[in-house]
Amino acid sequence: MRAQNLPSTVALIMGRSLGLLVALVLTFLAISLYSPQYLSIENLLVVALQVSFVGIAAIGTGCLIISGNVDLSIGSQYALCAVTSAMLAKSVSAPIAWMAGIFLGAVLGLVNGLLVWRVPISPIIITLGTLTIFRGIALKITNGFGVRGVPSSFAQLGQAVWLGVPMPVWILVLLAGVAHILLHSTKQGRHLFAFGGNREAAESAGIDGKRLVLVSFAVNGALVGTSAVLAASRFGSAAPTFGVGFELDVIAAVILGGVVFSGGEGSIVGILLGIVLLGVINSGLISIGIDPHYTQMVKGLALVFAVTLDQLTQEQQERHRKKLALGERSSSA
Amino acid sequence: MTNPLSVHAGAQPLVRGVGITKYFGGVRALDNVSLDLFPGEVVALVGDNGAGKSTLIKILSGMYQADEGSIWLGDVELQHLTVRQARAFGIETVYQQLFLCDNLGAAANVMLGQEPVKSRFGPFEIIDNKRLVEEARKRIDELGITLSNLFTPVRRFSGGQRQAIAIARATVNADRLIQFDEPTAALGVRQTKATLELIQRVAAKGIAVVVISHNLDDVFAIAHRIVAMRLGRITLDTFADQTTRAHVIACMTGLSSRQDA
Repeated sequence: MRAQNLPSTVALIMGRSLGLLVALVLTFLAISLYSPQYLSIENLLVVALQVSFVGIAAIGTGCLIISGNVDLSIGSQYALCAVTSAMLAKSVSAPIAWMAGIFLGAVLGLVNGLLVWRVPISPIIITLGTLTIFRGIALKITNGFGVRGVPSSFAQLGQAVWLGVPMPVWILVLLAGVAHILLHSTKQGRHLFAFGGNREAAESAGIDGKRLVLVSFAVNGALVGTSAVLAASRFGSAAPTFGVGFELDVIAAVILGGVVFSGGEGSIVGILLGIVLLGVINSGLISIGIDPHYTQMVKGLALVFAVTLDQLTQEQQERHRKKLALGERSSSA
Repeated sequence: MTNPLSVHAGAQPLVRGVGITKYFGGVRALDNVSLDLFPGEVVALVGDNGAGKSTLIKILSGMYQADEGSIWLGDVELQHLTVRQARAFGIETVYQQLFLCDNLGAAANVMLGQEPVKSRFGPFEIIDNKRLVEEARKRIDELGITLSNLFTPVRRFSGGQRQAIAIARATVNADRLIQFDEPTAALGVRQTKATLELIQRVAAKGIAVVVISHNLDDVFAIAHRIVAMRLGRITLDTFADQTTRAHVIACMTGLSSRQDA
């Protein structure tokens, strides 16, 4: 049904998602040839756990980029939420510390949203500034040291396992399911695409741009906060150096997953596939004993390859359509 | 073409601008301009660059506020019309740049901001896609527009088709007054003809229509009434079948308007 209603987006997404799926299967096959134990349930669960932290943040960042914005400060938000939550856990009960970390993420996102709304220059510049500010705050409140001596109750969330699957993975799956429905079936989701496609058109159609920007930044922050709290809880501690380069991992996965950086195109399915593919490349190459330095290069190559392929396909389609249109004209003349 | 006199007979104007003056800094863009708009009537607004045509339609759509004068929407007199009030009354403007979301299909664009809702989840509203497509299809068919596909991103359509989609969208948002800012400026001959026909069909639905145009062929082809402006003032306001091209040009340029009458 959706394919009928939004075939444009869907065709693009399916094209990309199908490509990602093939790439994923091939990567799995290649890795399992060299390292058969990679495909064991235990190992796959470890991989799933590793990607879930980036994955949760990528859902928010994906939606933000679809709406035509971006937040580069998520790595610093991640650190600040993690250390705050862990520090609070020493004086308040664990659930309150978890909630506080998530809430702080929403507040940090909202601050970015307000700045981006009020100061009409690139969100890249604004959030580059807050990236440094938030990191500075995280270093200041911890004096640069990791938060230790966190009560074990704080670790219950991140270390919990249900039906053999770690809690962060469940939370990723749940959030992805909800985000998929909200993004592709609700008015709010449609308006994110519209705003990312043409901001002035969306506003002239009566969409409240200010609310959309503030909410999308705040939701992104809350998801980053969730991811940070889960990570801090998982490790039972947090450090102000958490999440350095996190934004690059998240944005790379999102773009690899078919979200267009200029806004207006993308899907949750694609984002998930992007995250998983990068996660598998990462852990798989290590498990077959390749120098980890190569992993970096392979991840970068995957991204460059995917966007180049996109561009070439698009140009090819454009030429094809042009040929068809010219053919029509000459046959009717 | 229906005789515009029959449209006016005893009819109340739907939208009126009375004594509107607008300054931009020290420049008087509009000087005591009054204009009555009637349902079903196509009014062509002509004039040289800087005559004040665009300023006038922006005031009637609430984007600019008049410094002096007032606007009547039906029986209500307003000193300051806002975009929100204009929209609520049913006034919409189709600008040259069209304001379409290129990444969405025609159906999504036509219904943007007015998507029918199937059910709610707290603050979230689930779009009823079936009804959305039906309603978009209805609007598009009403105007006699032919589109091969309602779902292809509109960036792939031609200029004329995009214009048609923008007009269909305007009819979803507005049922009282639709203003067009140079709708055919970027179009070829065939697409211009199709767009002019569309504008006539919009008026035939009982909507008041204002068209800014530089092309007098277009103006005489579709306008019931012609309003010429020059240097912020209205220099001519008459029925199209009671004037001549030469006279309209004279009023636009300020050359003697008698010599060729």
